[in-house]
Amino acid sequence: MPDAPGRAVVLQVCGSACHGPSVVTGAGRSRDQWTAVVNQMVARGAKGSDAELGQIINYLSTQFGPGATPAAGAKGGGPPASTGRGPGPLGSGAADSHLVDDAGAERGKTLFAAECSTCHGQKARGGNEALPAAQRGSDLIRSLVVLRDRYGSLVSPFLTKGHPMRSGGDAKSLTAAQAGDLAHFLHQRVYATLRNGGELQIQNILSGDPKAGLLYFSGAGKCSSCHAATGDFAGIGKRYDAVTLQQKFLFPRTVAFGRGAPPPSIKPAHVTVTLANGQTVAGNLVSLDDFNVALRDAEGNYRSFTIQPQIKVMKQDPLDAHVALLDEISDKNIHDVVAYLESLK
Amino acid sequence: MKKLFFAFLGLALSTGLFSQTLDMSTLAKPPAGSWPMYNGDYSGRRFSSLTRINSGNVKNLSLSWLYRVNAGPGLGSNVSSTPVLVDGVLYFTVPDHVWAIDARTGREIWHHAHESKGGIHLGNRGVGVYGQWLYFETPDCNLVALNLKDGKKRWQTSICDPDQMYFGSIAPLVIGTHVITGVSGDDLDIPGYIESHDPETGARQWRFYTHPAPGSEEAKSWPSTEAMVHGGGMTWGSSTYDPELNLLYFGTGNPQPVIAGKARAGDNLYTESIIAVNPDTGKMAWYYQVSPHDTHDWDANEVPVLFDGVIDGKPRKLVAQAARNGYFFVLDRTNGKHVVTSKFTKANWAKGLNAKGQPVPDPAKDPAKDGVLVAPNQAGAANWPPASFSPQTGLFYVNATDAYSVYYIYDDDEKPEGWGGNDRGGWSKSTLKALDYKTGKAKWEHPWEGTGGPRSGVLSTAGNLVFAGDPSNNLVALDAATGKPLWHTNLGARMSNGPMTYELDGSQYLVLAAGDMVFGFVMNEK
Repeated sequence: MPDAPGRAVVLQVCGSACHGPSVVTGAGRSRDQWTAVVNQMVARGAKGSDAELGQIINYLSTQFGPGATPAAGAKGGGPPASTGRGPGPLGSGAADSHLVDDAGAERGKTLFAAECSTCHGQKARGGNEALPAAQRGSDLIRSLVVLRDRYGSLVSPFLTKGHPMRSGGDAKSLTAAQAGDLAHFLHQRVYATLRNGGELQIQNILSGDPKAGLLYFSGAGKCSSCHAATGDFAGIGKRYDAVTLQQKFLFPRTVAFGRGAPPPSIKPAHVTVTLANGQTVAGNLVSLDDFNVALRDAEGNYRSFTIQPQIKVMKQDPLDAHVALLDEISDKNIHDVVAYLESLK
Repeated sequence: MKKLFFAFLGLALSTGLFSQTLDMSTLAKPPAGSWPMYNGDYSGRRFSSLTRINSGNVKNLSLSWLYRVNAGPGLGSNVSSTPVLVDGVLYFTVPDHVWAIDARTGREIWHHAHESKGGIHLGNRGVGVYGQWLYFETPDCNLVALNLKDGKKRWQTSICDPDQMYFGSIAPLVIGTHVITGVSGDDLDIPGYIESHDPETGARQWRFYTHPAPGSEEAKSWPSTEAMVHGGGMTWGSSTYDPELNLLYFGTGNPQPVIAGKARAGDNLYTESIIAVNPDTGKMAWYYQVSPHDTHDWDANEVPVLFDGVIDGKPRKLVAQAARNGYFFVLDRTNGKHVVTSKFTKANWAKGLNAKGQPVPDPAKDPAKDGVLVAPNQAGAANWPPASFSPQTGLFYVNATDAYSVYYIYDDDEKPEGWGGNDRGGWSKSTLKALDYKTGKAKWEHPWEGTGGPRSGVLSTAGNLVFAGDPSNNLVALDAATGKPLWHTNLGARMSNGPMTYELDGSQYLVLAAGDMVFGFVMNEK
């Protein structure tokens, strides 16, 4: 992995328990796409502070952005990669997978739209199922000719055997370069359907009613007991996009990032430890399990204690109300609250 | 005289294992103190009858050895396999790598590295052993046979196609002259299957697809044959086997396209089902679907655990699964008839249970463009980390996770493919639960502090112990009857596999992994 700010954090958080760095170097992704990947990893148990997650997203977006060249041999024993985009960051597919050249895919797309899409569909997923089978082109995303192709190695011979085109011509007339462009386009369509294809994103989620959202905010949701539209939430709709708002209020500890804003600091849980002699030590919770508790006190000192019957541990998490909400809130409430928060420009 | 007899018996048993080979009679009835396959025995109970480590002395458990694997950074070295013990040697894997280490000392005996041609290197569950041979699956879709004695390759054979995004990850199960393999991979819309291979040559004996035959009654659970034969149902879980019934049990994974299910109306058989097949023929005996028409990626690949119990006063042969969808199922394993269904974690996606005890999905909790809050999350209430059943307590132990996330549809096309949606964000909290198989209700539960789920397995023993991992990197021994924690040690990383135990030279060992570290604990009784 290239040496750049954030590399150490990436190796520490992403590479310690679950996977090595090579799994992330296979594909270029936009900042939004990397953010989605990191959020997914957090949901799957990745542990990092908000600041660390922000650094990881920065590092990945800069080092493995859309124009990035996949690292050679990213999948272990495979042959060194040429330039272009592979199947995805988790290493799906063969090590010698077709790497998509974006310009070639763009040319292929134009050709496909003109000559192939009538039968095979704009997205290459096959023709309209209402049509009789004879008039319906096959699903090319699921085609073994496509999946096993490398740079036209199977697509080109298939076409040059003769295949009808929309213009009335025959695919025999296509040049090897044109067949190669079609192959780039088709592989691009295949990769876009993978788990971490990255091309598909969350759509417009603003389906709620801001007025109903306000009612819930200051009523049943009890949001207004901690937050105020004229206080901490002034202009919050400008600071975060709708998806981030939705994720933040449902899961404040698994932060979603939006619009490149720096990761906000999340209120830590507070803990008070009462020792056997009655003395109390309080501070921000660092860790707690059945056996030990650790905190950082107001002076910034780290303190830890073994939990014993004569010791009392009281934990107070200001975000507990958000967790409790998960058992109660309806999807309509969620959409309304998002619409309301988004309106706070 | 009696003593002498037992000494001879012991010698006979150990001689059987001493030649570094395993035969079917040993696999079918493993001697106490052995662990000859992924789950310890065919039942998948992960219960050991050993008692040298017990609730009275577990506080004296000591670290005997620590072995650190080195197969590259991160996931490449994350041990999620359960070691298999044959004649004092432990065999375990990470993707593309197999090790043999001395079970007494942790000393490496050999290491085999497979030259990879791709595939997802997400995890590998371990090996199967037959005779003097060892079998494992690779991410690039091969079943590989090695010589137990030196790790030299005997042969390899293809079990799937990496170009369709399949990959291999499970520990093969050896039954007589069958090596049973499964396949992983839910990136594209491809069908799942299991296969049986000849242990001597690797030749395929049969393949069973996890979808119905076109034209059959069950095929009507799909809108078209095209949708059905691209409908997923991967077989990446661990299989179990009943030698008396001669039935192999396994769970199947999510239907495809996974989150965006618009173009696959119906129950989508046999995805997310528990299936019983005859291992000699590959013919299905019965199926039971735990998640009809799933749209949340809740693979039912959790181990189907076999045990005998008493229901309404009658002895029954049972199979139980704590499924990723948040429900616990007990079935009659002779015929797949439903016995018990219970919710063992938060689950808000079903309207209730039907007459067969299957949860009925609530369409309001299908993923949507503007997001739907669903419990459990995609990682699920349970997952591949194996649960355990103790015949001594009659309890089914599972590290259960309460979790929420928001499921979104990204692609509202009439014919979405692959991943036309996903879940995002989330909150989760885990609890070790001891479920009564007769009711599905928890007899005791021990919530772990902190959020996040330990993705680690559970072991129960006749020493009245349960071993499990917590989210704070602790290995914890609990009283099997009450759930009281009795001993713990911090491993420095979360337990990453299922713990196993064995006895050698009169000492009981406990072996488990955390990340790239394999720990060997021992009870020093003197």
